[in-house]
Amino acid sequence: MTTLLPPPLAETPALARLRADVRAFLDEQIAAGVFTPDVDTWLNGFHPDFTRSLAERGWLGMTIPAEYGGHGRSFLERFVVTEELLAAGAPVAAHWIADRQAAPSLLKYGTEEQKQRYLPRITAGELFWAIGMSEPDSGSDLASVRTRGERVEGGWRLTGTKVWTSGAHHAHAFFALARTAPLDPQHRHAGLSQFIVELDSPGVEIRPIRSMNGAHHFNEVHLEGVFVPDELVIGTIGDGWAQVTSELSYERSGPERFLSTYRLLAALAGRGLGDAETGAYVARLAGLHQMSSAVAGALEHHQDVSSAAAVVKVLGTALEGDVADLADRLTEDDPGDPELRALVARAVFHRPGFTLRGGTSEVLRGVIARELGLR
Amino acid sequence: MTDRTTPDASATAGYVVDPDLVATIRDLLTASAPTPRDPEAGIAFDAALWDKLDALGLARLTTPEDDGGSGATWHESAALLTEMAAAAVSLPVAEHDLLAGWLLRAAGLPVDNRRRTIGLVEWDDEGRPVARAVPSARHADAVVLVSAGDGGRVVADVALSELEITEGLNLAGEPRDDVRLEPSALTGPVVADDVAHELFHRAGLVRAIQVAGALERCLSLTLEHTTTRVQFGRPISRFQAVQHLLADIAAETSLARAAVDAAVRAAAARDAGEADGASLAFLVAVARSCAGHAASVVVRQAHQLHGAIGTTLEHDLHRFTLAALAWRSEYGSTQTWDRRVAELATTAGTAGLWGLITR
Repeated sequence: MTTLLPPPLAETPALARLRADVRAFLDEQIAAGVFTPDVDTWLNGFHPDFTRSLAERGWLGMTIPAEYGGHGRSFLERFVVTEELLAAGAPVAAHWIADRQAAPSLLKYGTEEQKQRYLPRITAGELFWAIGMSEPDSGSDLASVRTRGERVEGGWRLTGTKVWTSGAHHAHAFFALARTAPLDPQHRHAGLSQFIVELDSPGVEIRPIRSMNGAHHFNEVHLEGVFVPDELVIGTIGDGWAQVTSELSYERSGPERFLSTYRLLAALAGRGLGDAETGAYVARLAGLHQMSSAVAGALEHHQDVSSAAAVVKVLGTALEGDVADLADRLTEDDPGDPELRALVARAVFHRPGFTLRGGTSEVLRGVIARELGLR
Repeated sequence: MTDRTTPDASATAGYVVDPDLVATIRDLLTASAPTPRDPEAGIAFDAALWDKLDALGLARLTTPEDDGGSGATWHESAALLTEMAAAAVSLPVAEHDLLAGWLLRAAGLPVDNRRRTIGLVEWDDEGRPVARAVPSARHADAVVLVSAGDGGRVVADVALSELEITEGLNLAGEPRDDVRLEPSALTGPVVADDVAHELFHRAGLVRAIQVAGALERCLSLTLEHTTTRVQFGRPISRFQAVQHLLADIAAETSLARAAVDAAVRAAAARDAGEADGASLAFLVAVARSCAGHAASVVVRQAHQLHGAIGTTLEHDLHRFTLAALAWRSEYGSTQTWDRRVAELATTAGTAGLWGLITR
């Protein structure tokens, strides 16, 4: 029988205790007014003080080994902590990308010096990361990036423009995907490389792109002959495609792909709104929680999770948007429940991005089709 | 692609059903499947296969060994039901073991090897007890009946000879018979209402397991068809539009499977005395909701991708699509279960819902 799912897991008592610890801490933080639960906070909730307080509790850099300042814990433990943070609608955007994908990429491909240089500060909640993949002419077709790296004395000179760079105006660095050999149409994935670009380097220009609600999380990052020394090449020159694919699997596999509007769904359910439709969405979310936990278990055992993660992301991001739409159909602009209506409005603003970011649903269906042996 | 039955020694807390058991079941079913179905008369009763299942201890997997069963768990039973659903083998094993057997034990009634099914009794216009759409009543030796209404329920183990059977079929052609009896025949011990509620959850879960198994077979049949059917000079699976429909089938099937597996774990924990009924109630409702909605997508796309041949009697697809639709509407409609999830969520409240989902 065909299945895309890793084997199911039951949560151990130790994981349940960790859940309870995180939940109790978050309840305290909400009660103390440190944050108000919101939607889509992993991309929009920038709160460096809160990030540092998570770091103090050991909930950042969880899977980083102790020799690099991390906590040497399992992917399942990290999964439990991230799920609790997302379900609480906590402001975790500052460290999210650093913790989710920069740290595992550094561990997998980084030099000893790079690991020592960045991982302890990621774990301390002091170093924020961004994503340097998309470009104005390269979205889903990432292999078409035109940012180029030119060999110079002692390093590389990068020229090009990255776009949709969430949080670049707060971040300290990103991995820039660049072409270091001319495009060979027969081997489009060859000749790509990744570089660590510290965003305060000369030649880096960060310009805001404002979202339709006026918010600023997107940026355009222009690299004008930015010098990257040899010691900041990540991985191997020419292996950028394999590396960026690995980075994407961390980017796509987490519970933020079904929990972005969880607070809104919980608000509907708690108010008894939506009847069977709300029930069906709660059920879907509960099922996705089970699937996502199985994905975390597979990550723990270094299994390839790209197709299982694609399934969670296709279903989960559609659900996030459907919840926003259901809530919008159930509520109106009356003064009765302004808090709920404001939450609905923010969810509706963010909704179009859910099924785009981190790989569109169309691209992910292609990933699933490949796993089914159709490509 | 992974095989679900591949043992994964590294799975920390996962439960792995013995692959030898699954192989035994597959071998047995492959020889008999699918059970013949006539569009008017319905699905035939394969008494020989029943006897084989019984001889191997598969007909009473979860019945304790002291009562002549195999002493296995919901996990093994779910594996059996999944394989049967995926092979279009229709026999009332779940009704016999997981439902009737369990109810007899819950009521303190003796258990033996007679073939049993269950019925939920209400009263008709003349005040006679009637259990509607009882699975395979006509093929049973006895029907374990539980009365409706709160304030204690009567459980009666009634022989077929004392029952008046009106034969019926579900959408898939499985026997679903109305059963009438004299009020005086409805006698037996009284159990708490909770026992009847739990019976309903167990029955709901059985159907969810079967739906998941049928949907998985719909996926594999559709993969087979689209990779071999050639149009415009190539297999239709090469077209992106077709690939996306297949991806949706696979995704929905996976979600149903994940939700069903979680509910099966909860049921196993419940039977082992490790969990209360509340967790089971929520997870069964989740599984039924996910499986019910998955069936909408999978049945629609599987038929779309098979084209006209999939709508015919000669093609096997209908054995799985019709079964999935029939099963998702037994022991509560999909909407009933959606509402049940909503009620439990509202009771948990905005702050408590996450605890319900992760308990």
